[in-house]
Amino acid sequence: MNRASLHFLLAALVAAALPLFMRSGTLASEVLIFAMAAAACNLLLGYTGLLSFGQGIFFGLGSYAVGLTLLHTSLPLSLALALSTLAGAVAATGVGWLSIRRQGVYFVMLTLAFSQFFYFLAYTFKDVTGGDNGLLNIPRPAIGPFTLGNSWSYYTFVAVLFLFVFAALQRVASSTFGRTLLAVRDNEERARAIGFPVRLFKITAFAVSGAVTGLAGALHALLIGVAPLSSIEYHMSESILIMTIIGGTGNLFASVLGAGFYVIVSDLLSSIWPRWLLLLGGLLVVVALFMQKGLWGLLERLVEALRSGRKSPVEAPVRPESEGRGI
Amino acid sequence: MLNRRDLLKSSALTAGSLLLPAGLRPAFAAGEDITIGAPLPMSGPFAANGKFGSMGTAMIVEEVGRILDRKLGYIEIDTEGKPATAVRKVQEAMERGVTLFSGGILSSEALAMGKEVAKGNGVFITTAGADEITGSECNKGTFRWSVPTFGAIEQTVRPLIEQLPDAKRWYTITPQYVFGDGLLNAAKAIFKEKGIEHVGNSYHSLTEKEFSGYLTNAMAAKPDALLILNFGSQSSDTLRQAVSFGMKQRMTILLAWASGLEQFETLGPDLMEGVYFGAQYWHGIDSPFNRELVAKVQAKHKMNPNYAFASAYLTTKLLIDAAAKAGSTDGPAVAKAMEGMKYAGLTGDEEIRAADHQVIKNYYLLKGKAKSAMKDKDDYADIISFGKSFQSPEEALCKMA
Repeated sequence: MNRASLHFLLAALVAAALPLFMRSGTLASEVLIFAMAAAACNLLLGYTGLLSFGQGIFFGLGSYAVGLTLLHTSLPLSLALALSTLAGAVAATGVGWLSIRRQGVYFVMLTLAFSQFFYFLAYTFKDVTGGDNGLLNIPRPAIGPFTLGNSWSYYTFVAVLFLFVFAALQRVASSTFGRTLLAVRDNEERARAIGFPVRLFKITAFAVSGAVTGLAGALHALLIGVAPLSSIEYHMSESILIMTIIGGTGNLFASVLGAGFYVIVSDLLSSIWPRWLLLLGGLLVVVALFMQKGLWGLLERLVEALRSGRKSPVEAPVRPESEGRGI
Repeated sequence: MLNRRDLLKSSALTAGSLLLPAGLRPAFAAGEDITIGAPLPMSGPFAANGKFGSMGTAMIVEEVGRILDRKLGYIEIDTEGKPATAVRKVQEAMERGVTLFSGGILSSEALAMGKEVAKGNGVFITTAGADEITGSECNKGTFRWSVPTFGAIEQTVRPLIEQLPDAKRWYTITPQYVFGDGLLNAAKAIFKEKGIEHVGNSYHSLTEKEFSGYLTNAMAAKPDALLILNFGSQSSDTLRQAVSFGMKQRMTILLAWASGLEQFETLGPDLMEGVYFGAQYWHGIDSPFNRELVAKVQAKHKMNPNYAFASAYLTTKLLIDAAAKAGSTDGPAVAKAMEGMKYAGLTGDEEIRAADHQVIKNYYLLKGKAKSAMKDKDDYADIISFGKSFQSPEEALCKMA
């Protein structure tokens, strides 16, 4: 079994196992929704080397798009979701097109600026978005003969979409395009010198990432019946990035681990101690200092240690792995 | 008493209960218990309010102990001050059979939770500020104790204009969103009626922390009174900066939507002296029920109840009383029992209006005292006036679904 198939199998196992171990279909759905968003973020961060604070924009726009479509038109759910995906892709193309003109810290600053820009747009146009109150009353219609009112039936729907999206992202990551992204990440100048259209590739990565994040935002709005302003604010980008980093940027399944860990642990910690964000901050420090490959790296070390029957090896310098063969 | 936090603490430490298969996990609400959900921001920027709210709910649940021959408990639900988290956790609580909820301090989370609870045939009572809660977004399952923006302005701006007939020029500072506009529009209507000159308004965003520019504009307009229409830490920051600019000596300052004791403790008497405040609740209210609550809280917690504590105590009590009256915890039955309910409340005689689920209660105009005049550490203000002012359900745009 190759690595990509193993990761897909692991993702499918997670989707199948969550109902067995979680009391709530709502929480389980949230895990998979954020797993999609984190995997999309990973495509930018892990595969293209772009630290984007714009993910909240695409997530929020997806939420608003599905809400506005279902509230103001009679389009079916499938089309509403397609429109949300498109909204995320279009916004990401625009944000990406402008942001990648600069590199490093200036790129990050641009995505932050766009994040604030879109937040204030949503805040200002309250007649459209509901402003601070959020866009309320978003229905969760049936899809074909399947009703989604029950939290576990909705989870099933989300799980199917999640697996489809995960497989699609894997396909992207292991394609020539995905391998070229790795080349861009590793040495942009060399990739350009070889003749790759680096800007176009980066914009395309943004578009794919935005599309998936928009879909995740739409599914989240359907889950809670509201598109809150917090979905499009900077903190959403921050949360998605934290999930991605905690999981590890080495492969797409690591993002599933990161999202699951973040959502479940946040829920658990917030029930135990009101200052749980301190613990989360501490955890990030630990990840940044000692687990630079994230939870996936930790898992790999454990497996390696079990295999070799000796102490886990010293962690190698950070070098996110590829789903493909590299170029 | 059932407390989700305590229960989870022990279960998480011993078995990681959250991830255990459903059959192996300890139930949050043991079979026969009646559980009240308390969705409050226990973490995040509004955690202090959440803590006192939870204490209020805990106290009344402990006091009552049993209703309908069943043990009464509550679960604390940390909304983190985020609507999405709030709705998700309320959904989970409803899946576990909770139908009655008291909480929701922030408007955005309260609106979203109210919709969710109503959808699941539950009952939700809140103290959040957005007019829409019992206005355009009113629904069969949502009730609100706090006075909307219209009443807050009617019971602060109007009496102050009458007390200060020479204050003919007013300046306003307003957060630019629905809540702020609600307050501003109500104030403008009174200005027009009373022939007051509205010499200017400064809008600011919800994330603003620096108000000196707006205050400079206000001073340039030379008003007789400054009306501050933001709330929470923004109103405290605005007042601090206004006082440091010497505006207190040059004009009357009214902060129309103060949160009461919890805010006054952070401001202190030096800032507050001579400043007017609007408040939903004050522990010095002279009503039998409030006097009784203050005595109980002082005896149990060695403190005076603040707004978050007292309102959570009362709103949870309303749910319990309604369930007892209905003989059931079934949401529609409890909602029906609450509609039209009259009771001796914290602010005197209160009534739940059936048409829009708005509690008809007093709103208070307070005036900050000098430190030397304070009788005890919490005696920050005197009640100047109070009263009940409400739009009709039709005027508030409530069309009960």
